[in-house]
Amino acid sequence: MSEPTTSPQSTTPPEVTTPPAATTPSAAPAGQPASTRTGPGRLLVGVYGLFALSASARAAVQIATKFHHAPVAYLLSAFAGVVYIIATVTLANGSPTARRIALVSCSVEFAGVLAIGTWSVLDPATFPDATVWSGYGSGYGFVPLVLPVFGLLWLRYWSRRTRAPG
Amino acid sequence: MSSVNGTVPTIIIVAGLALAGYSLLMTALNRRMGFVLLVALGVLEILLLVLVGMVVAKLAEGGRPSSLPTLIGYLIAIPIVPVVAGFWGAMERSRWGPAVIAVAGLVAAVLMVRLHEIWPVIHV
Repeated sequence: MSEPTTSPQSTTPPEVTTPPAATTPSAAPAGQPASTRTGPGRLLVGVYGLFALSASARAAVQIATKFHHAPVAYLLSAFAGVVYIIATVTLANGSPTARRIALVSCSVEFAGVLAIGTWSVLDPATFPDATVWSGYGSGYGFVPLVLPVFGLLWLRYWSRRTRAPG
Repeated sequence: MSSVNGTVPTIIIVAGLALAGYSLLMTALNRRMGFVLLVALGVLEILLLVLVGMVVAKLAEGGRPSSLPTLIGYLIAIPIVPVVAGFWGAMERSRWGPAVIAVAGLVAAVLMVRLHEIWPVIHV
């Protein structure tokens, strides 16, 4: 170690003995994303936004034009759309409150894709028209199944980083 | 009833996949958004606008898909994808900017397949 023995007459500049953790807590460490919407979050929020738009637009058209054809499927599509919108907005915001809401919406999303996926496989008659979550998101390249996992991992990374300083 | 020539949708699929591949390579090489990616995104946007024009011309001829609201929704959404992805990706100062562009390229290719499903006269 190059650190000299401390003495009252030491000419060592103070910054040498200052621990790096003394920087302002709000500043992001070098090489780390500054918020939940930057770094990998940029991609995550982008994909969430894509699904928020497609799921809610699709549900709106289905409910407006042929609601009685498959009411359960269309209402679930609308619910999925709302969940995606909440996740997109809260992940893009990134405040502690927003991250708490995002945690709930990503969890609901993950439970939803598993439950609706299983329901649609066991009882296809209820789903004459597909939703984003039927077949575990098979109509969307299984992205709806993978997306909440990445969302939850991203939120866990942030919760650990903000709890443990440095 | 003539069908929409498949050349433009096919070019869009190839261009979208090529853009996605190149963007993912940039992400893997830890590169940020650059001029090349924005120009490529602009070319994709022009191709998509040409396609939207062709489909609108087909509607003006009197052709109708089984779900007109769905098709109109797609015609509105398609040209927005590269624009939003371009702004969102350009705001990023890391390798994840090109990753956003990769999604736009993949989405453009997937939307061509969806368009064909919505209205089979649009060939791929």
